[in-house]
Amino acid sequence: MSEQRPKRGLQAWLNARYGIDPLLDFLRHKEVPLGSHWMGWYFLGGATLFFFVVQIATGVLLLMYYQAGEATSYESLRYIVTKVPFGWLVRAVHCWSAHLMVASLIAHMFSTMMLKAYRPPRELTWVSGYALFVVTLCFGFSGYLLPWNELSFFATAVGTDSVKSVPVVGGWLLQVLRGGADVTINTLYRFFAFHVVVLPLAAFAVIGVHLLFVQRQGMAPPLGEKAAPRGMRFFPNFFLRDLLLWLGCLLVLIVLAAYLPYGPNIPGMEWDLGKKADPLAPAYPGIKPEWYFLWVYQLLKEFPPHVFGIEGPQLCLLAVSVLLGIWAVVPWLDRNARRDAPSPAFTDLGVAALLFIGFLMLKAWDLGAPAGVADTIRAQVAARNAAVLVVIVFAAVVVGRSIAGRRWFTWSATATAHAVLHGIGGVPYLVAGTVSAGAAALWLAVARLREGRQR
Amino acid sequence: MSDASALESGPTGATRRTFLDLLLGTTLLGTLASVVYPILQYLKPLPAAGPGGPARLTRAEIEALESKHFVIVPAAGTRVLVLRDQEQKLRALDARCTHEGCTVQYVVAEGVIWCACHNGRFDLEGRVLAGPPPRPLPRYTAHEDAQGNVSITPEKT
Repeated sequence: MSEQRPKRGLQAWLNARYGIDPLLDFLRHKEVPLGSHWMGWYFLGGATLFFFVVQIATGVLLLMYYQAGEATSYESLRYIVTKVPFGWLVRAVHCWSAHLMVASLIAHMFSTMMLKAYRPPRELTWVSGYALFVVTLCFGFSGYLLPWNELSFFATAVGTDSVKSVPVVGGWLLQVLRGGADVTINTLYRFFAFHVVVLPLAAFAVIGVHLLFVQRQGMAPPLGEKAAPRGMRFFPNFFLRDLLLWLGCLLVLIVLAAYLPYGPNIPGMEWDLGKKADPLAPAYPGIKPEWYFLWVYQLLKEFPPHVFGIEGPQLCLLAVSVLLGIWAVVPWLDRNARRDAPSPAFTDLGVAALLFIGFLMLKAWDLGAPAGVADTIRAQVAARNAAVLVVIVFAAVVVGRSIAGRRWFTWSATATAHAVLHGIGGVPYLVAGTVSAGAAALWLAVARLREGRQR
Repeated sequence: MSDASALESGPTGATRRTFLDLLLGTTLLGTLASVVYPILQYLKPLPAAGPGGPARLTRAEIEALESKHFVIVPAAGTRVLVLRDQEQKLRALDARCTHEGCTVQYVVAEGVIWCACHNGRFDLEGRVLAGPPPRPLPRYTAHEDAQGNVSITPEKT
């Protein structure tokens, strides 16, 4: 190497001390695989990261005025949005960015699901992403209490109450989480510590691991195209596109925060400060959690008081845990994708998850239900409208995927049958679910028998 | 050296290394426990030191009870719903819904106790009428003396 002309400047100075040339070399040769699928899916993780950075920046700004305390939490936040110059904007950006971060994270997760990017060797990237999903939900939940207003009080009362269903340690965990038997200002102190210290540290660590995996292995090429024939250089081609997207995200964020500083006024997506929390006031009508928790909220409503001797809410939360658990280990369940073969059953599972969650969300929103009639009638109308929408989406998916030659619809058909039986047929939610799941099991068993006979 | 190997391997076949590994493992576990145990104890909140015995309603609470037909008061270490039914009878029930712990309210027009969170309905005895709550609301004893003072006895009935 002594024959080479010695390099000068900052790069040479740094390289002599830290040996950065291999790193620069890596970045220079880093490529993003181009294949048959739309490359837009590759940008969703970056968008989520952008919103996270905005959260840190606006969060630090809010901390300059926010004071946690019985007589100060609500008051200091009111001071921020009414007195502090641009305080309303900082809070609006923090709230909007939180919602957009959850939305882009969910879109990122579903795109990974549909494209089977979780297949080997990227199982742990999926798991670390799943951990980030959990951390983000915890961020949303803990941040919700900090304004100490009516809505946040009851959302926290319900959300923490579900912890008691955890076997053996449930009671202890509930006490530790709340800092007492009930939700009090002690709960806020604990949530505050979580929201501004524990969760950010956890998020930094897991994001670090997630990004390390992605850098080490590169982005997943399309299924069945193990060695993607073409690639796009990360620097500058892909990175500039990333920057452009971030600029777009910032623009959207600013427009939304400036024009709708208190949210779009949809239940589950509004953050008007409202009244100060009063632990001795009853829950008010129409109270709903954030949109990404709405499906659990609605599911809690659908479960009867007792099922087979088990308390309804306990069974409901067990069901939610099982569903989320299955979602976490999908890379190991999907055997076709492990062999790099098309895996329509798991694409269909993703569609079914969207239909299942979408139906519950639409029902929780009382979709198209007239005001001023009895609750039971409102629920029926909303369920019918939601079921009709589910059928329309299912039909569109069937047509679209049939054209693409991927005819596997058992899971999505099950979710649709569930919605139709309950929403249009008027069958109780759990019964409708059991009937459609049973029919799906029968269908799969018959298909397997037939397959065996053909062999 | 044969002497050395005899020294290192005991009659049960355990070597000096396995013994040291065991010691090291035990020490590590002990250290971990000595760190985790105080943290767990620190996190567990102290039991609320509320006054025992019957809780008396304040003047403001009684006024609220008369004007809205119900009031929620802190008593028996929890929140208690005190209501006056259509027969002017005073009733006291746990204000925490047995479903997911929201605070319930008395709907005078329908004569029921209602939870706005997941639409649970109870009768004035605390029994579940509709919705997802799995258990009835625990009842307390409400007592009104001749001067109009109202007290809640912590014992559930």
